[in-house]
Amino acid sequence: MKNTGEYIVAVAGQPNSGKSTVFNMLTGARQFIANYPGVTVEKKIGIYNYKDQKIKLVDLPGTYSLTSYSLEERVARNFLIDEKPDLILNIVDASNLERHLNLTFQLLEMGLPMIIALNMIDVSQNRGFKIDLEKLSEELGVSVLPTVAKKGRGKDDLKLLIYDACNNKESYQNDFMIDYGETMENILTELEDKIAADNRFAGHLPRWMAVKLLAGDPEVRTMFSGN
Amino acid sequence: MSMVENKTMNLDKLKPGQECKLIDVHLTGANGQRLMDMGFMPGVKIKVLRNAPLTDPVELEIRGYNVSIRHAEARYIEVSL
Repeated sequence: MKNTGEYIVAVAGQPNSGKSTVFNMLTGARQFIANYPGVTVEKKIGIYNYKDQKIKLVDLPGTYSLTSYSLEERVARNFLIDEKPDLILNIVDASNLERHLNLTFQLLEMGLPMIIALNMIDVSQNRGFKIDLEKLSEELGVSVLPTVAKKGRGKDDLKLLIYDACNNKESYQNDFMIDYGETMENILTELEDKIAADNRFAGHLPRWMAVKLLAGDPEVRTMFSGN
Repeated sequence: MSMVENKTMNLDKLKPGQECKLIDVHLTGANGQRLMDMGFMPGVKIKVLRNAPLTDPVELEIRGYNVSIRHAEARYIEVSL
């Protein structure tokens, strides 16, 4: 097994976003199941080749959020922190945009290159929604590609986009930041400086940690208080 | 019909068919977080659809999708009609 030169893409999305369907559309039958280290959460991995490049998709557990309250959420977020995949492929249900963006924002705060597959765009259109793709892409600073994974629509475009993103990570690395308002931002800045200066947290994004601290995230709080 | 304005109540007191606006979620920890993740934010409109045959859970419509929660959780969601 040659393991060199493969791109690792984390597939993230809320339950019912069609994550598995997109995953299957991209990888076909070349899938196998492993476990995330030390936990009983299934880790589905799929592989496909594109222009002589091996692309490895890792299916993150479907979660509504990226807090540390549930095992699945911890697994998903620790994979992103520890493994630093080349790309996050965020699957978003176009017919429930508002709810799905909750996870999208949290993924963006992880500071990794990311693209969005706006799935079930047909359902969304049938419901009478008109989504301004360019505007959405511009607001988030992320490439947005409409797909209908159930019918295989968007497959080739998505493969091309994934390939391009892995090859040009810098241009897909976005500087998206949620502005939490003056009061919060002042506290966040203060925390960020403290975190950045603390070598215990080397390799962690100071802003991400500061946001999670303020949100009362149990795991991040533990990182601070005890070792 | 007396319309009570600005008076808040707990979501579990509403009957199927009633609509309300969320004022606050008085739950912390994992449950409070999960409700927020599902879109339970101040100002959002909620419609009570129906109760399960054995009263729990209660099905709600929020932000264009349906969510079922327990009355024990709905009790901590402050709303206004």
